[in-house]
Amino acid sequence: MNSERHLLIPKIESGIVIDHVPAGLGAGILELLRSYAGLDDAQITLGLNYDSNKLGRKDMLKIIAPELPKKVLAHLSILASGVTIKRVDNYRVQGKYSLQPPDHIEGLARCINPNCISNHERQASARFTRLGETSHKFRCAYCERVFELDELDIVLP
Amino acid sequence: MKSDLISMNDLDLADIEHYLDLAHQVEGLPAQERVRLLAGRVLMVMFYEPSTRTRLSFESAMQKLGGGVIGFSETASTSIAKGESFSDTVLTCERYADAIVVRHPKEGTARLAAETASIPIINAGDGTNQHPTQTLLDLYTIKKCHGQVDNVRIAFVGDLKYSRTVHSLFQALLKYQGVKFTLVSPESLRLPGYLKLSAEGRQLDFDETDDLQAALAQNDIVYMTRIQAERFADIMDYEKVKNAYCLEARMLAGAPANLKVLHPLPRVNEISPDVDKSRFAGYFDQVESGVIVRQGILLSLLGVL
Repeated sequence: MNSERHLLIPKIESGIVIDHVPAGLGAGILELLRSYAGLDDAQITLGLNYDSNKLGRKDMLKIIAPELPKKVLAHLSILASGVTIKRVDNYRVQGKYSLQPPDHIEGLARCINPNCISNHERQASARFTRLGETSHKFRCAYCERVFELDELDIVLP
Repeated sequence: MKSDLISMNDLDLADIEHYLDLAHQVEGLPAQERVRLLAGRVLMVMFYEPSTRTRLSFESAMQKLGGGVIGFSETASTSIAKGESFSDTVLTCERYADAIVVRHPKEGTARLAAETASIPIINAGDGTNQHPTQTLLDLYTIKKCHGQVDNVRIAFVGDLKYSRTVHSLFQALLKYQGVKFTLVSPESLRLPGYLKLSAEGRQLDFDETDDLQAALAQNDIVYMTRIQAERFADIMDYEKVKNAYCLEARMLAGAPANLKVLHPLPRVNEISPDVDKSRFAGYFDQVESGVIVRQGILLSLLGVL
């Protein structure tokens, strides 16, 4: 199984691997990464629909870049919290962690309530706060409605 | 640092009780003493939506405290009609006044005003979200009727989906101990799920029904609401539910003796006039409480009490 995967998506000497991406989210992550200056011309390999013990099917991205900037990770934590971020050096995984949902979101997602003032006044930049440490629910600071993290409308840079 | 009153979500129980205590304190002050408290101060009312009670109640509250009131209650004759942004209007209005009361059809507008202005902002209703001064006067009325808010049994009736007075009061009551809720509405106007959450995001269970008559027998407070035509995108949906509930005096025959019927007003058909003279009617007492509670709020936010 592993050798087959290596054939499909080769190892990288150094860079970042985004693993355990739920199948179907890989293309969205690629679009997000490519919207950031500095990553728009980075070498990125996208693999789709691999077998996964954890998820059934998963996507995976490998990026030739020394690191992912904090803002990219913050953006990614909205789009795909739970993915695994691995830092690779000399073909070996040097460190990895599971990307957790953010506690606060500001300027990275739009409120999906069309009657929220943040969708009408330029000065009202949408921001959200997580309800509780284990929750994936977020309250809009303006309209005070509560949304699931995956309901939020991501704003690309 | 300035204080604002934007949402019940911003207040803990001690804050709420502080406002209720202030109202009680104001009620005990002689009128001739009250009228000196805000002499020389100016309140700006920015009303982007129609209002009778809230606007007049604030005007009455401010004038009885010796202050003046300026503002607008429709936007056609202001620079808003020329396309001025809300933020610019706030930045302008704050130069004329000591505090601003704002009502707006979009949710979150009062929050934006509070972030924009350097003077206190009071939310007088933002879309379907919050109406904190109405909530405080509702709580004040409940406390007057029943001596306490803890352990009260309350039925919310009618438009629980769009009514900001319901959303606001419901969230405030969740902060008290032992409050029992009955949610009475047509299926299409149920309380939104995002309100039925604990502070940590846990789903809470409530007794939901469409049976008003049964609710009358089991509650201390029946909080009636108007089905709001202006909140419906499709008028046909409004037509289906507009007369879902009409409380008549005869329906209160088996009700507990201390039951109070409250309503934020205005009413249309949901409370028959024959209830007005009964001992159950509490909605015009709410109107009176509104002035006292808003006086307490103004005095607190302007740093007098």
